[in-house]
Amino acid sequence: MTKDTSGVLHLGIDLGTSRSAIVASSGARHVVDSYVGWPVDMVARKILKRDVLFGREALDNRPMLELHRPLERGLIKEGSAKDERAVRELLAHLISLAGPQQGQRVFAVVGVPAEALRVSRQHLRNAVIGIADSLMIVSEPFAVAYGLDTLLHSLIIDIGAGTTDFCVMNGHYPTEEEQRTLLNAGDAVDDQLMTLLRTRFPEAQLTIHTVRQWKEKYSFVGEPARPVIVTAPVSGKPTTLDITNEVRRACESLVPPIVETMLDLISRADPDYQDKLRHNIILAGGGSQIAGLADALMTALAEVGGGRVLAVEDPVYAGAGGSLAIAREAPEADWERLQG
Amino acid sequence: MSGATGRSPASHERLRRALVEAAVDENVALITGRRPAAEPRRRHPRFWVTWALVVCVAALLTATVGPFSIGRTTGARAEDALPDAGPVAPVPSLALTPLPRALAPALFDLRISRVVVDPGHGGDDPGARSHTGLAEKEVTLDIALRLEKLLAEAGFEVVMTRERDVFVSLRERVLLANRAGGDLFLSVHVNSIPQPLRRGVETYYLGPTDDPHVEQLAGAENSASGYTLADFRTLLEQVFADVRSDESRRLAGAVQNKLFAALRRHNPNLEDRGVKRAPFAVLIGTEMPSVLAEVSCVSHSDEAELLRQSAYRDRIAHALAAGVFDYAAPHGAPLLVAAPAPGPADGPGERSHQ
Repeated sequence: MTKDTSGVLHLGIDLGTSRSAIVASSGARHVVDSYVGWPVDMVARKILKRDVLFGREALDNRPMLELHRPLERGLIKEGSAKDERAVRELLAHLISLAGPQQGQRVFAVVGVPAEALRVSRQHLRNAVIGIADSLMIVSEPFAVAYGLDTLLHSLIIDIGAGTTDFCVMNGHYPTEEEQRTLLNAGDAVDDQLMTLLRTRFPEAQLTIHTVRQWKEKYSFVGEPARPVIVTAPVSGKPTTLDITNEVRRACESLVPPIVETMLDLISRADPDYQDKLRHNIILAGGGSQIAGLADALMTALAEVGGGRVLAVEDPVYAGAGGSLAIAREAPEADWERLQG
Repeated sequence: MSGATGRSPASHERLRRALVEAAVDENVALITGRRPAAEPRRRHPRFWVTWALVVCVAALLTATVGPFSIGRTTGARAEDALPDAGPVAPVPSLALTPLPRALAPALFDLRISRVVVDPGHGGDDPGARSHTGLAEKEVTLDIALRLEKLLAEAGFEVVMTRERDVFVSLRERVLLANRAGGDLFLSVHVNSIPQPLRRGVETYYLGPTDDPHVEQLAGAENSASGYTLADFRTLLEQVFADVRSDESRRLAGAVQNKLFAALRRHNPNLEDRGVKRAPFAVLIGTEMPSVLAEVSCVSHSDEAELLRQSAYRDRIAHALAAGVFDYAAPHGAPLLVAAPAPGPADGPGERSHQ
């Protein structure tokens, strides 16, 4: 890591439903699970010796915590001061991980799910006031496009936990019509996988966290590379389960809505550029790592003239990296406008 | 991965700079409560047809609700509020008055006659489960059928999105509700909260942004200068969305109040988790005031046990019906609603004190 000793620390933050990442101009990079937990009572506080816990640590201690996933379902729940506070705590924690130097000004760009930006913009802004010297909020797929420099005739499909965001880049700031959001995303896959597993293995003792970990490790659509075999307690006894079909069914539930939305957005683009658009589709977010998904989308594109779908190489930091690029390229005068 | 735009380096740099400027402008607009400058868009010929319709509707809205007119109240008679000028007359006054916060349904002689009841989940989709295996789909269907009966007895026409244990996609539910021309949409769900000690009821609606630029839009945009027709179209669409959303919020409030009041008596530790907004697909797609009620927490062992009891489900159904009556009553129109049979706790008869 190179130490940034200049007067300004630029930060790019991906505030995700499931995970949040930060990349700093100093070179610091961190990712945390988007969980914030407050001890439920004095006893828990004494045991945990902390007023607030984050990420994996919060998850591991969840029985003693009031646990919040601040962007559940892709946006801040209105009316829940705790969720606004959770966003604030999480961002403050991420910034502290980036380690701003004493006296250094912090200019941050925060990428959020597109739905959160649309529905909860003011709540988001309220939640983040004061945690940086100046702050800009952008939609996550836009940040990804900016970071990858795919700004013309490209379609970003950002498959997160709470939402799948689509953003067509046509050489201008994307309009409402060029963006879409689906609730078919990672959490929906988790729920479906849990349902399928409970139906098939009613005696198995499963938690959503375990099921989510299996999905993240083994997700695929199409033909499996190998059977998905896991171990889970059944009536208290560790038991081997073959969950290949369940994982496939849960993951494949994402494909039809994504294909439908992708083709619809392409069909609405300028006909002269539809071919270029079809050949420049980028999968981002955690869902981009579902094995076989890009191929499944290309199979669908083959029916309308063919196309190319690529997954970002670094899904964890693609959004934060794009946000950092925006932060670094915004002139100082703009940062002054963004204060307050 | 393609990183080039196919433009010259200088042109590419300009594009990046323009995008950053647009992002900054959008944020500054949020901070200052102003609407960002509109992105120039291609206009399809259909736009002008749409625009003509929008202007007509705007004039009607101005005439009947009066949100665009200085000093008018929602109680003004429609003919009193008709604009004097041509169809674009409402534009200048937009800047001077707040956007409508509530529709005055009495002006339209609205009746709530057709209620769409949507039992969550079903078929292959069991929804949440209690630790003892009680499935959400079973509870929601039973409560919804009880609710259907109560509403029908009260004179409402009830449309069910499902009446048995079958899977109905969210899209189909939305289509069904819209095609049926429902006046209200009430989706019944049971919550599951990661913290097993939490319990409570909450009701969701799809709301507009609370963005101050909407609140202050008029003031920011009144200079008839720089305010394009496309901007106005977008604005009006937002206004219409707000009106429906206000109604949804009111319905959500009525349902939540009745649910909490009715169930707390029998579930003293029940939490009022409040009225909230969320982008549930059924709320986004439906074209009428729509809410989604999480009527209990199946993840809480006591509540799961209560949900197994017919009497508790009956209480929930009565509370939901009471919420609908509560919402429908202020519409002022003769509802032709017969007094429903009193429930075990809070029955629809409670509406008399509204």
